[in-house]
Amino acid sequence: MTEVRNPFADPLRFERRVPECAIVIFGAAGDLAKRKLLPALYRLAYDRRLPASFAIVGNSRTPMSDEDYRSRMLEAVKQFSEDGAFDEELWKRFAANLHYVAGDVKDPQLYVALREKLNTIGQANVLFYLSTQPSYYEVIVDGIGHSHLSAAPEGAWRRLIVEKPFGHDLGSAKELNSRIHAVFREEDTYRIDHYLGKETVQNILALRFGNGIFEPLWNRRYINHVQITAAESIGVEGRGGYYQEAGALRDMIQNHLLQVMATVAMEPSAVFEPNAVRDERAKLLRSIKIMRPDEVDQYAVAGQYKGFRQEPGVNPDAQTDTYAAGTFFVDNWRWAGVPFFIRSGKKLPKRVTDIAIQFNQAPLALFGNAPGSGDGEQKARPNLLILRIQPEEGISLLFLSKEPGSGMRLRPVSMDFNYGTSFGERSPSAYETLLVDAMVGDPTLYTRQDMVEASWTVIQPILENWNNRRFDFPNYESGTWGPAEADAMIAKLGRTWRNS
Amino acid sequence: MSTTAVQPERILKDLQQLWAQMAVDQADAGGVLRACAMTLVVVAENAADAEHVRQTVGVLMHNHPSRAVILRPSGDGGSGAELDARIFAECWKPFGKTQQICSEGIEVTAGRSGFAEVAKFLVPLRVADLPVVLWCRGTHVFASGAEPGPLQPLFPLADKIIFDSSEVVDADSALQFLRRLRGRGRRVADLHWTRLTGWREVLAHLFDDRALQPSEVTGAQVTFGGSSVTTCAHYFAAWIRTALPAVRVSIGSGDGPRGLHSVKLFTAADSLTITLGSDHCVEVSGCGRHYRSMLPSSSEEALMQEELGILGPDPVYERVLTA
Repeated sequence: MTEVRNPFADPLRFERRVPECAIVIFGAAGDLAKRKLLPALYRLAYDRRLPASFAIVGNSRTPMSDEDYRSRMLEAVKQFSEDGAFDEELWKRFAANLHYVAGDVKDPQLYVALREKLNTIGQANVLFYLSTQPSYYEVIVDGIGHSHLSAAPEGAWRRLIVEKPFGHDLGSAKELNSRIHAVFREEDTYRIDHYLGKETVQNILALRFGNGIFEPLWNRRYINHVQITAAESIGVEGRGGYYQEAGALRDMIQNHLLQVMATVAMEPSAVFEPNAVRDERAKLLRSIKIMRPDEVDQYAVAGQYKGFRQEPGVNPDAQTDTYAAGTFFVDNWRWAGVPFFIRSGKKLPKRVTDIAIQFNQAPLALFGNAPGSGDGEQKARPNLLILRIQPEEGISLLFLSKEPGSGMRLRPVSMDFNYGTSFGERSPSAYETLLVDAMVGDPTLYTRQDMVEASWTVIQPILENWNNRRFDFPNYESGTWGPAEADAMIAKLGRTWRNS
Repeated sequence: MSTTAVQPERILKDLQQLWAQMAVDQADAGGVLRACAMTLVVVAENAADAEHVRQTVGVLMHNHPSRAVILRPSGDGGSGAELDARIFAECWKPFGKTQQICSEGIEVTAGRSGFAEVAKFLVPLRVADLPVVLWCRGTHVFASGAEPGPLQPLFPLADKIIFDSSEVVDADSALQFLRRLRGRGRRVADLHWTRLTGWREVLAHLFDDRALQPSEVTGAQVTFGGSSVTTCAHYFAAWIRTALPAVRVSIGSGDGPRGLHSVKLFTAADSLTITLGSDHCVEVSGCGRHYRSMLPSSSEEALMQEELGILGPDPVYERVLTA
């Protein structure tokens, strides 16, 4: 069908509009739905971004009436809404379109009940959201397929959002993709990686491709290395059961951080269109050098904090990596030889996610021996461009400046851009952005099948190595920056972690 | 706030001192962060208006932190100092944060020597390398017609000039004025166009939803209230014409207060009307649709927020203005 351009469109002034649709959330009583999805949807309603007839159908096994579900979600929205934005009248209108269907996802009758509910609501466009345990994904997709819920009437759409993890290794990811494709086309499949919905991650593209000064430096000639850190100060916080099966490598690096790395390192796309941007991300992921089995010990480090095995639901002998670090290289002309150090861990000294791009030092330490220069801070310092993803989203550039006074004493100073202050308006949460994108049919910030498989391919040798060995865990204390082996890994390449 | 002698250098120095003092005063309370993304110059109509502007600017700064320069005509016909100025800071604390974010402002009182002096005075007060937006309040600016008006010297300083033609009696000459400025390369905006965003969005959505196909529309009628045609009626009609060049669009008057009352689109077999309803809503009826849609806020703050969000070209408005 040829899309007719709306001659009245005014994208500068009109908000992207969510079409009339319903969203069916599987796992609707779960943590993600309560903490993220319902607050995000409510916020979209609060900002008048949803059509009045927009409907939500929640599903979980717990028997509940629509009213019970509304009451539960009201609490969740009040508790987890950002900025505490809440309007009683708006909630009443929002809740009137909030429905609930109890049932086991393995039971075919559930899908019959969902069909009836959707017929009653009368929405032709339906977005299915898999917010359950990953082990149910295939069952639910099959259920949707068998019940023909995936078949949209003429001119309407049916889409599927899948939460990570997309499989637990390359083989299972391929299997999941193939099961999904038996029911949904790839263009109707939205694999959500909420990191890509974060304003600051999107801003990497703006920084790189909207400005003229960075791109000429964005290559092996000027960049010494890149550090990507996602540190959490908390532990598994009651998610021990899930986490011990996942670990930091699968939970963070395989998806979020490799996607961030791809955004930092990808080539510019010719146009800013969904598949053009995703093609470049996918190309970058495919260009990451795959570690040989004998390289894994040199380039990857696993860690586990002291006390993890005592967490509720955790096997006392668990080999889970609560910390993972890796050194990755990109085999292309732009990045050949530039190491990308990626690490993620729990119980680290602070919660921070950032990307530090370290530039090469000036070729000559002109001020190193200046009279009165002293030492310490005076030593040549490389320039650092830091993209802060959370908290305090923003960008900082570290460079050297002369200290006031006689002599030529240099001191590192920071030039900061802070999202919250330069743009006073509130940034939408990643889930708000991504939900709207899925409803309007824009997959730019979603992960495509080839991207998922490429990132599993990168991780697979590490997984295989780690699955076949016993670590001497625990190997790091809570409140430290991870195991000593991670420091040794980066030191072998003549670099040090930026632990600040 | 402090009153200062009127050299720009002195004002800038006073601002520096103000920030240094605030940093000291707030050191134990989370500190202050000075934010600035543009220079916003506002020409108030009179002293009372300047007070109102000060409040509006305070609201705008949350989303568009800026150095605000409020130009206030002196009420005494110009006796005493020709130019006088005082500085102020506008601070707010984002939700959940301890650090205050502050923007700075300068209130300039201008006497009889007029705005030629003011323009020279403003040059060093602009924040270097950031956009300058000039907001000319009131309708007197349109009165100059083809003649260079008193505000003319300020126009070259601005990257964007915002007017409001809502109270203008002679809509044609107001539009001519804006077109002339545009023709001279000035980027202009009109808050009376901004007021139409909600209406336009409702109409555009009808085409998104395929309630109507562009090719089905055979005619359109824009109806306004009040005794004379308003710029918004002209704008809306021109917008439809630029979107559907083959469609004949007429403008008619109706009963009721000034402003846009309804827009009707005709097809061969049916028609669809968007009518201003109660409670700041519009009602859509026809072509199988019948619903109400709430219009966005049309407060001055909301309109300015929208305009300050567009500092580059605004192709739709520019097409409409020159249509």
